[in-house]
Amino acid sequence: MRPFLSVEKMSVGYGTTTILDKLDLGIRKGEFVALLGSSGCGKTTLLRTIAGFTKPFFGSIRVADRDVTQMPPDKRGMALVFQSYALWPHMTVAQNIGYGLKLQRQSRENIDARVNEMQNLLGLAGLGDRKPGQLSGGQRQRVALGRALAIDPEILLLDEPLSNLDARIRLTVRHEIRSLQKRLGITAIHVTHDREEAMVMADRIIIMNTGRIEQEGSPEDVYNKPASPFVAAFMGAENLLSMQARVQGEQVELMEGSFNPSIVTALAGRTLATGPIELRFRAEAARLARSEDKTVLQPGTLELRGQVTSVSYPGGHWRHAIRLGENEILVDADTPFNQGEAVRVCIPAKSLFIFNVVEGLAEARAL
Amino acid sequence: MQTRFLALLLVLPALIMIVLFFIVPLFASILGAFEVGDSFGLGNFSKSFDLYSKDMIFTVVIVSISTVLIGLLSIAIGGYLTLGENPRSVAILRWLYRWPMFIPFIVVGQVLRTFLAKNGLMNNILVSLGILTPLQTTGFLDWRGIVIAFVWKQTPFVTLLVAGAMASLDRSTIEAARNLGASRLRILIEIVVPQISGTLLVGLILSFVTMMSVLSVPLMINAQSPTMLTADIAFRINAHGDYGVANALGVISLLLTAGVALIYLRQTMKDRL
Repeated sequence: MRPFLSVEKMSVGYGTTTILDKLDLGIRKGEFVALLGSSGCGKTTLLRTIAGFTKPFFGSIRVADRDVTQMPPDKRGMALVFQSYALWPHMTVAQNIGYGLKLQRQSRENIDARVNEMQNLLGLAGLGDRKPGQLSGGQRQRVALGRALAIDPEILLLDEPLSNLDARIRLTVRHEIRSLQKRLGITAIHVTHDREEAMVMADRIIIMNTGRIEQEGSPEDVYNKPASPFVAAFMGAENLLSMQARVQGEQVELMEGSFNPSIVTALAGRTLATGPIELRFRAEAARLARSEDKTVLQPGTLELRGQVTSVSYPGGHWRHAIRLGENEILVDADTPFNQGEAVRVCIPAKSLFIFNVVEGLAEARAL
Repeated sequence: MQTRFLALLLVLPALIMIVLFFIVPLFASILGAFEVGDSFGLGNFSKSFDLYSKDMIFTVVIVSISTVLIGLLSIAIGGYLTLGENPRSVAILRWLYRWPMFIPFIVVGQVLRTFLAKNGLMNNILVSLGILTPLQTTGFLDWRGIVIAFVWKQTPFVTLLVAGAMASLDRSTIEAARNLGASRLRILIEIVVPQISGTLLVGLILSFVTMMSVLSVPLMINAQSPTMLTADIAFRINAHGDYGVANALGVISLLLTAGVALIYLRQTMKDRL
């Protein structure tokens, strides 16, 4: 099936700098897609190009088999919610929401009815006569959403719409937007740099890095099966170790190092070659044990021996910094271990993200 | 106590300057407006209204028309600088529009006098292009000439303020309107101008006051009756040595500009509420 919105071989940039190069993307009807990446990765540029505010150098954008590449923003059936909300300060809430309908020359009654509907839908009832300056951040955000939804767009584009909200309000607005999107069945593209926000809101996450799509997939996929070291790190696997690996058939052996005995585990879909590897895992995926604890480990569990250098309590669990020679890793545990204590760090095979080290990159990293 | 004295001492030079060179002369001329012979009265004012009521209306009408035209032109230029999509023509306009600001009023008057006269440069060009015959030509050296001179000289100043305010608007408020299908003209009128109206008003009021005080342009372009109050004031002093009526006319000009300032104050108070 052809996707509802498709971006084909699109290159975008400003002046002589290219930001996105030959990018392909397909989004199904009714899907909620998050474009996730750190600042400067090109996610906002991608959104603005889809919206029609930036013209691509090459490539095409199609909506339901209509080529919209050269169309002005308002003819694409899309509405954009801006990061700054971009509400018009001289207009009331009702005027802001109804402006798109006024531009479509709809009758006064139609506009009033639709504005009322939007205000009720978004919990803005009774605020129609206020100016944006008299609203809270969350209310402004909802007015911006109402203004975009009032014209009944096929595609809703959200440019970091939650980044200007208080942390607590953000958590509720996330769910509000998501349930609204589901209820209206609208196709949505959401740009964010917040991993958790993308995880809870989106059907599919597209992780971008330096103008390329690093990985796309369901939240579970990108979380549990990161396709590259960048994705693994971005999805929270910040602990990094360098090792040697030997691949034999469907098995991979992580060679013995100064802090660990060797283990053998199944490749389990990983594409690896014999040679230097980098290994990543999350602080919460590892288990901490006293060094005299002789519990027999499940086969394939990586065991590291190190020393606790510091302990902190971020809430819910204790976070330990463990020194392994030159390296330091972070490991969570339910009970605190003493500073200076020798410990075993056990990481189950399925929580290990293993990648071959690309030549040259390793040296660059060592510097 | 000591610090208060020191503070007063620091302010004193500026205060003396203002009192000596501004407040005292102002009050002297206001008082002078009410001096008739050896006593005080409204004689100078009744004489002013008898002789120059036409000129007062002429002045207000000319300056008002100019202000409106300046407003429209500065919105148009500022709007094009903000919303224009051809970067080259925007750059050219940006470079071009400021020039008249650096030309003194007297030079503007002189330039336009030779340009707008009945047998001036403009009509010569029109005649040589065959658009007009020499008999059809008319000079613009009357109220129209003054309006043209004022608009030409003051538009860049107001545009400078307006374009600056437009440039510092949140661009996404413009893009949000484009996203919903607003044309550039509608964006200018419904989105951009309402957001910079305060700046526009300040620019226009400063322009209004400036134009009220220009002597050279009416003298150069419109040396006939009716003319502007500034020319009358100069005439009363230079030809008759009549400081009383000149002062009365000055007070009337002051009241006219004060009226405009009041509108401005009202507006800003309303915006704050």
